[in-house]
Amino acid sequence: MSEEIELTGQIVKHYGSDKGMLIPMMQDLQAECGYLPIGHLRCLAERLDVPLSRLYSVATFYSSFRLAPKGAHDVTLCMGTVCYLKGSPMILEAISREFNVEAGGTTADRLFSLQAVNCVGACALAPVMVVDGKYYDGVTPQSAIEIIQAFPCEEETAEPSAKEGAK
Amino acid sequence: MPTVTIDGQKVRIKKGLTVLDAAKKAGIWIPTLCYHPAVASEASCRLCMVELDRGDWRQLITACNYPVRQDIVVYVSSERAEKARRGVMELLLARAPESRELAALACRMGVEKTHYPSVTESQRNCILCGLCVSVCEQVIGRAAIGFAGRGAERTVAAPFRQASEDCIGCGACAAVCPVGTIKIRLHKDEREIEISPFKSRAKMVLCERCGMPMYSGQVSREAMSKVKIGRKAFTEYLRLCPKCRRTETAERFASVPVRRE
Repeated sequence: MSEEIELTGQIVKHYGSDKGMLIPMMQDLQAECGYLPIGHLRCLAERLDVPLSRLYSVATFYSSFRLAPKGAHDVTLCMGTVCYLKGSPMILEAISREFNVEAGGTTADRLFSLQAVNCVGACALAPVMVVDGKYYDGVTPQSAIEIIQAFPCEEETAEPSAKEGAK
Repeated sequence: MPTVTIDGQKVRIKKGLTVLDAAKKAGIWIPTLCYHPAVASEASCRLCMVELDRGDWRQLITACNYPVRQDIVVYVSSERAEKARRGVMELLLARAPESRELAALACRMGVEKTHYPSVTESQRNCILCGLCVSVCEQVIGRAAIGFAGRGAERTVAAPFRQASEDCIGCGACAAVCPVGTIKIRLHKDEREIEISPFKSRAKMVLCERCGMPMYSGQVSREAMSKVKIGRKAFTEYLRLCPKCRRTETAERFASVPVRRE
């Protein structure tokens, strides 16, 4: 709790308590925490005397603001023209169904953040999936799931609590 | 005082009032949904569009927030204005297909059905007029709800889509909702008032006589804090439900001996 107060206090002070600087303040908060934690937003709203509903409106309006922490791994699926024609919508659907995550969302166990982007610039490899910067080419709904499933195994040994929490 | 000519009828109104005010004075009906005298007009529903004569061209304007500054000529029942309003109504009907209030208004405007597909479940029956949001912030001063998301996903929600701590359960949002989507639910067993669909609940104050739940406790505290004079009389007033208050008053009168000359 004190950490929330301290961090938001610093940010607010930095902008001279100006309500009009709400967005830069929220950007700083996200840069610090990786996302916008509810507690911090509450603190910020209180300190600026701005309703929490306004902060929530702003946070949900801009797609660059995140209200939940990012997953340990970044899964990016290309939905560009070529990948799209080669079946990336099916891959997206398969991943969404298998891991119960929507595009732009993070799995409940915080292992993966799934993003659907417009083009990763590797059309010759279509359909492309990028996991933590590594490109996978010619992906099928089946192979995409297999590629992603190969990742949590590492996590199990490193952070057994994360997996338990998800169950 | 500027003169507004509406469909040929001339009315004089105070400078700064709106075209809608002028139309009301002239007895001309303009359909409205998001307009409410208690809050600032946002003209978000676009249902009150009328045509403004600009000399060599005519412009569609929203009557509810167009201030009259000089003599102007507007057309409410011109073909273009009516077509524009009907088009808006069709779009609104697609958003709120289950609203009886909206259907009645559509009927009055001569719109029978919509050609547009209906929207997703989460946004269903909300026309996003923002009246509830404005009332909560400007009148009640709580701002417990606001808009969330954007574009096709825009909805009215409490922060984090959880029951809001700022909500006092006054029900003002339900009272102003023009399509009847926000509702007050009473949970008599738990003595709670719920504002649906925002999930917020508040404990209710019971009538001291009959035990009927009357209003949320926070509302009475809020009201008390605003009362400056006659606090005692007001406290007395808040004790009973209207029915019991009548009964008690009647009893009091009955107990007064009548003086006969």
